[in-house]
Amino acid sequence: MLRYVTRRAAGWFLVIAVATNATYFLASSFLDPRSNFKELRPVRTDEQVSRALAPYNLDPHEPLLHRWWDWLSGVVLRFDWGRSPVGVEVNGEIGHRSLVSAQLVIGATLLSVVVGVALAVHTASRQYGWRDRAAQALSMALFNVPVSVAALALVLLAIRLNEQAGWHFLYVAGERSPDVEGFWATLGDRAAHLVLPTLTLTLTGYVGHHLTQRSLLLDVIGSDFVRTARATGLTRAQAIRRHALRTALIPTAQSVAFSIPAVFTGAVLTETVFGWNGMGQYFVQTINKNDVHGTVATAAFAAALTAIGAILADITTVLLDPRVRVS
Amino acid sequence: MGTPVSPDPTPDGIPATTTVTAAAAAATTVTAPAAAPGPVAGPAAERPPTGHDGRYLGRRRLYLRRFWRNRTAVAGVAILLLLVLFSAFGQLLTPYHFSDTDFSALTQAPGTEHLFGTNQGGNDVYASAAHGLQRSLVIAVSVSVLTVAVSAVVGAGAAYLGGRTEKATLALIHFLLIVPSFLVLALVSHKLAGDWRVLVLVLTVFGWMSTARVVWSVSTSLRERDYVLAAEFMGVHPLRIVLRHIVPNLGSLLIVNLTLGVVSTVLSESALSFLGFGVQTPDVSLGTMLADGAGTITSAPWLFAFPAALTVLLTVSMTFVGDGLRDALDPTSTTGAAGGRR
Repeated sequence: MLRYVTRRAAGWFLVIAVATNATYFLASSFLDPRSNFKELRPVRTDEQVSRALAPYNLDPHEPLLHRWWDWLSGVVLRFDWGRSPVGVEVNGEIGHRSLVSAQLVIGATLLSVVVGVALAVHTASRQYGWRDRAAQALSMALFNVPVSVAALALVLLAIRLNEQAGWHFLYVAGERSPDVEGFWATLGDRAAHLVLPTLTLTLTGYVGHHLTQRSLLLDVIGSDFVRTARATGLTRAQAIRRHALRTALIPTAQSVAFSIPAVFTGAVLTETVFGWNGMGQYFVQTINKNDVHGTVATAAFAAALTAIGAILADITTVLLDPRVRVS
Repeated sequence: MGTPVSPDPTPDGIPATTTVTAAAAAATTVTAPAAAPGPVAGPAAERPPTGHDGRYLGRRRLYLRRFWRNRTAVAGVAILLLLVLFSAFGQLLTPYHFSDTDFSALTQAPGTEHLFGTNQGGNDVYASAAHGLQRSLVIAVSVSVLTVAVSAVVGAGAAYLGGRTEKATLALIHFLLIVPSFLVLALVSHKLAGDWRVLVLVLTVFGWMSTARVVWSVSTSLRERDYVLAAEFMGVHPLRIVLRHIVPNLGSLLIVNLTLGVVSTVLSESALSFLGFGVQTPDVSLGTMLADGAGTITSAPWLFAFPAALTVLLTVSMTFVGDGLRDALDPTSTTGAAGGRR
């Protein structure tokens, strides 16, 4: 098992490396830090601009391959992700931001999977019952709501609820309150801020897991081994949970990795709506400021999240699938 | 060889749905031979196919009947039609142009003068909504068509050619699926956008992978068919086999993906425009209108409500149509079959 997971992890690391380097070249060719100087008065000459950008390894007169090599060796040797066009270190920016975004994305992904699969088990064993139809209709509706609309609708609802309760218990802006001290108070405060963004991402993210898991379950529910399990005296619900679900979960576990890019996209939108200082917001900011290194670091972060999800999925597969354990 | 354009109505072209009954599958496959060659789900066939005396239904009539029986799908078509009409002619019903600014009415609530109210700049929300919906629809439909075309050729080509080509294509697809393509999308479209046609191109380049993967997995069984072998023995060029023997047999799958592709494109276009990376300011789309309304959600909720409602209506109706088509085109589905009847 360990060998299987290590091999997969190595593969994922390679994918992250390739993706990050590809993004570096893309970002360097599409983002032009020189255009940040266009607004400045008096007008800077080409030379002045180059001189201003050179210390940050962004001088366009330097060949692209040179810049890339400098950047890459910085990342590999010192884990230094470079600087923005005005000299701010990317490492300092992404430190706390990545934690904020990671808890959002990972929390939402786990919740989506749990909610989706649980709902699938519940509805698949009651196919065409009213609960199945209601859940199906709800999922279809949520499937079609853009993340931005869902987030804003939740904001409206939360404001309404806060007004009704006369107590500010749902936070619609920021990832923390500025004046909270003490470990437990900070933890509680963070968690309270997490509620609505995570809810947004879960509501839009669970649908895929629910619908696919339901149809996968329905495919195996009629098979012989489930009938045999029932013949040994298990109830229908037990047979489904212990035997049918186990087989049907394997494709879902594998698809988690593919769902993370979508969750990250959702995180970019939710962070914008809820005013979080996370990677998503940083991403929008860096692109607007032609910050090549910041953009690349965000891409690497997103790829790393995907890889984490994929490795978790691989471990789950190993636990579920006897064919992997044998080989 | 006849006209190879007509899709094969066997169930293999469609991924198994949840409601498979073997008996229904066998019954429909036997009794649904191709009668009228031609594109699937085209406009309604007015006359029954000649020479069958009503004993057989033409395929188009059959699909239409099955589709028509599905109430949600029909509702979807109705909503979609209304939306298309609104996007096409809505602007004619108002004296305002979406770029006109009415400085005597800034951020005005919906009323008689401005039907849907105005935004901070004094633009009429009704006119903007009609134009924005049109822009979003045009982008979504063209991206979806292009995406399906690319993924059909790539997916079927990879499956047919096999060997290294197949492996390399699959590796590329998996890589692109894992890469945070939204970032790349934002990066590229931010610099090139402003022009919606560029946005169409960019969305296509980063949108074909998942459909191509489905097409590939279905094509792997099609490539083993006898008619493909026959074509090979006749010395037909591989490209021609892919385009005229494999792709047409994916017809129903592609049509369903076409409608669902519209949904996903609307979603990603609105996400991009919401962040300011998609359609840019002088132009208006549903996404930019949502972004406009986001800031004033409590003080001027109508700025958000109308584009949000339009977006959701558009995606919901498209999904209904897509699901209806899937059920109608899939011979193994019992949803459209209404208790065993065809």
